[in-house]
Amino acid sequence: MDRTLLGIVASLGGALALVGFTFRSTVDGPADFRFANQTEVSSLDPQLLVGQPESRIAEAIFEGLTRYDPKTLSPAPAMAERWEVSPDGKRYTFHIRQAEWTDGHPVTAGDFVYSWKRLLDPATASEYAYLLFSLRGAEAFNSFDGLAEDLEGPIPRALAAFQKAHAGGADAKSFQALARKIHLSDALRRATAPALQNLLGRSTGSIEKDELDAFVAALAPEARRLREAAVHAKAHFGVDEGVFARDARTLEVDLAAPTPYFLSLTAYHTTMPSPRWVVEAPGRRDDWFLPEHIVTNGPFRLAKWIVNDHIRLERNEKYWGHADVALRTIDALSLENETTALNLYLSGALDWLPEQYPKDLASDIRKRPDFYGERGMVVYFYRLNTTRPPFDDRRVRLAVNLAVNRTLIVRDVLGLGQTEATTFVPPGMTGYTAPETAISYDVPRARALLAEAGYPDGRGFPSIGILYNTSAQHKQIAEEVASELRKNLGIEARAYNQEWQSFQTTIRALDYDMSRMGWIGDYADPNTFLDMWLTGGGNNQTGWSSPLYDRLLHTAADVSELETGDVSWLDSLAHPDAVRKSLDETRSATDPAVKLAARARTRMLLLGEAERVLVHDELPILPVYFYVVSGLVSPKVKGFYPRLVFEDGHTTPNLMDIHPLRDIRMEETR
Amino acid sequence: MSRSARVLSSLALAAVVLGLCRALGTVEGLALAGGLALVSGTAFLGGGAARAVGAVFLGGLLFGFARARCGTGLGLAVALVPAVLAYRFAPVRVLRRVAFLVPSLVVLVFATTILMYRAPGSPFAGERMSTPQVEARLREHYGVPKSAVAFFGIYMKRLVVDGTLGPSLKVRGRSVESLLAPALPVSISLGLLALTLATASGLALGVLAGLRPNRAIDHLTIGIATVGVSLPSFVIGATLMVVLSLGLGVLPVAGWGGYGHLVMPALTLAFPYTGYVARLARTGTLEVMREDFVRTARAKGLRERDVVLRHALRGAISPVVSFLGPAAAGILTGSFVVETLFDVPGVGQWFVKGAVNRDYSVVLGTAILYAALVTALNLVADLVHAWLDPRIRGQL
Repeated sequence: MDRTLLGIVASLGGALALVGFTFRSTVDGPADFRFANQTEVSSLDPQLLVGQPESRIAEAIFEGLTRYDPKTLSPAPAMAERWEVSPDGKRYTFHIRQAEWTDGHPVTAGDFVYSWKRLLDPATASEYAYLLFSLRGAEAFNSFDGLAEDLEGPIPRALAAFQKAHAGGADAKSFQALARKIHLSDALRRATAPALQNLLGRSTGSIEKDELDAFVAALAPEARRLREAAVHAKAHFGVDEGVFARDARTLEVDLAAPTPYFLSLTAYHTTMPSPRWVVEAPGRRDDWFLPEHIVTNGPFRLAKWIVNDHIRLERNEKYWGHADVALRTIDALSLENETTALNLYLSGALDWLPEQYPKDLASDIRKRPDFYGERGMVVYFYRLNTTRPPFDDRRVRLAVNLAVNRTLIVRDVLGLGQTEATTFVPPGMTGYTAPETAISYDVPRARALLAEAGYPDGRGFPSIGILYNTSAQHKQIAEEVASELRKNLGIEARAYNQEWQSFQTTIRALDYDMSRMGWIGDYADPNTFLDMWLTGGGNNQTGWSSPLYDRLLHTAADVSELETGDVSWLDSLAHPDAVRKSLDETRSATDPAVKLAARARTRMLLLGEAERVLVHDELPILPVYFYVVSGLVSPKVKGFYPRLVFEDGHTTPNLMDIHPLRDIRMEETR
Repeated sequence: MSRSARVLSSLALAAVVLGLCRALGTVEGLALAGGLALVSGTAFLGGGAARAVGAVFLGGLLFGFARARCGTGLGLAVALVPAVLAYRFAPVRVLRRVAFLVPSLVVLVFATTILMYRAPGSPFAGERMSTPQVEARLREHYGVPKSAVAFFGIYMKRLVVDGTLGPSLKVRGRSVESLLAPALPVSISLGLLALTLATASGLALGVLAGLRPNRAIDHLTIGIATVGVSLPSFVIGATLMVVLSLGLGVLPVAGWGGYGHLVMPALTLAFPYTGYVARLARTGTLEVMREDFVRTARAKGLRERDVVLRHALRGAISPVVSFLGPAAAGILTGSFVVETLFDVPGVGQWFVKGAVNRDYSVVLGTAILYAALVTALNLVADLVHAWLDPRIRGQL
């Protein structure tokens, strides 16, 4: 044979041999249960992780004080075998059960104190630290030093420059613009001094020189106050305040205000314990949760983690309730491609496929017997930029809200049984009643409002952009909304997209007219949807602010203050009598349980009033629809509840889309 | 060069430097222009200088790798021997490539850093807005200051002194090398298989077509080449998946681990390359068959089979070899589309994920990997050329 041909054949043969050399066949036996876990898990650190794929795994390998009962999602005993709550609802005593970590260490109350302190430690920089801000001293421990730092340095500097530029007094608008830039409301979120309050809430009119001087002068005392509180918290939090161990098996939790959903928080991954001796072992940076190091206390242990491929979990035989755990092995696949995920499911390689199928096949997939779809705790909406025309005018904001036919979007674009959103908090929160809303589909009224605002038939209305982050479905919806606005109001609206990171930057700079967002609740309570609209809140990003709204939310955080304090401001509410009646019930109640229940009712009434400000009075948003949580699950899978089933037989949607792996069984094991 | 040409090109150069400075800032622009000048300067190194610089850089590279593994002393020894041997025996061409590679990687890191920082967004911007304090702490922890130049300094120090590509900013707890190291063999085995398939079938089709232009085999080849080049791989992949997995049930839909998992992604990857290779081989064969030396061979009375195998084949595969150098770098670093379609844990995904997540370390790590592979494989292609073509061999 010739040399060239030989060369070609030899090099191809060599390449094939190299394939054999680099390719390692790594097939495990099939797992008992296999599911699509969406994107690659980026962390399994309970205090730091963010995202659903991460929390599904973390909540299977760690266990908190409580866990979710799979049928009802109500808190069930877990690491705490029982607990007591004080009559005023502010003190919880948890009795830790005899349990072991995977390395044989006993689980102690100290593990929880450590983990919760770790969550709140500013050095940990956890995005979820605020979840435990209801603990006494927690917020001071976490953020007061940082806030004080801002109040001592950058903020006075920026304000001094502002004072110089506006020596004769300023208008409130430019002051608010500066406030947003330097995160003033955030730094002053605990400030009570009238000189500070006075200007923070002012968004119209002008600001006198004296007022500005008084404002600047009040910053230093506020910083000092924060510093003192931080010093106190550092000395006491975790020792005799907030959370502390009475002995190795008794954990005391001390809340600043009763938190009705607290026992749900203790089932959430953020409050699960981390093993200090592993996290802080010498040589560990932040890789302690990789399979070669990790120590856990939950129903499963992390056996294998192949990045971009799959995570293998195995039953933890040291787990206290291992007899209840049916699955011996679980594979959680990380999959990017929806079509592939669906094909895997259809070929029988997956038992559960949450959400990840091509949405344009929704109408067909919906008909399958193994499909499930239930209302979720997610709202899809547009932010309206209230800092610049045309949406600085409430009439215009209401007009666009009235001009969008949500039914059309829900039926023709989405088609999974999603519901039109005319309020902001998704329906189904226990004890919460949605307020009246100004939002409906009413084109004549929308046109009248627009004319009233100075744009009859849309004449003179500036061309507006509808921004969405790149995705086929967001595009469809944005274009539908744009065409409705064009058709119904005669205004120029254009849908445009940006990829996620650029999108975020644009939103934060308030450089948009309308921008798309979806919000998933962190816990089953209206507060997780409403607190984002607080003045200057990190996720507000509309520039909207309402003193009444802020006051309602702050009061709802601790309604007991209302029983003794000033209640005259309640007159500005839509239904002050209902709140007053509920307050009277609280005052007159002698039975602590009745008192707590009345307080919870008052709280919900206040939250309802707050949402009314949002969707009836001010409308800094345009809600579109409430999500449906959907997926495909093999009929062989048992112990999986898309609808929660309660003792008395009634069922509700599984709003949080939580399906504890601990309690899943397979009808026949493969 | 004429005087006016000199003036014109100097002016053009000045305009480029000015443009860089305006677009990137004075310091960054000048630094980038200087770096680029330095890199192109390596082309003008004399034979001896290229030898010396190349050997020093080679030693430096090896030292960097070796020290991270086995300490300074042993690393020095491990690096010194090949460096000296290379200085003594390696062809100038090879050492010139090394002399070019090292500064160009530094310029690459610098340019990528500047561009990355200019993209909107940041690696620490999540959906839930974190406070400025949290962001500042994260920036400090991961060594990502707000200035691009400062980051470049930190990154180069990490690269040179610590011998690491740094921690990933999004995949917590893992370094970039620990992400790329398990992914690389996956992409390489898949890529090599695809490359072998593409080269073997492409060459066979192309040479046969070139020998019989305008006959059935030629039309078939051109047809396959056109389809292969123009059909996007997600269409090919999805079709294979529907037919072979969902329809016939002979192969797993997706995933990685078994030999069955190799087939469909390799075929999908190979298809467009088959098209390219076939077209190039066909053109090469057509050209070479008209050459004088082929006519001479025929005139000598050689059998057609020997004419083709001994003389024509060499010429025919020459354009294929030039193509395969850079193409191999592309195919060995994986394909985002094929990897996500078949759920293959390869390197290709990191190119896209790094950029999408603004994971600066991953972006730089993949850029370095790709640049090094392109340079190395181009060098291999050059050497193969020299082996194939006596006219080039003389220049070594």
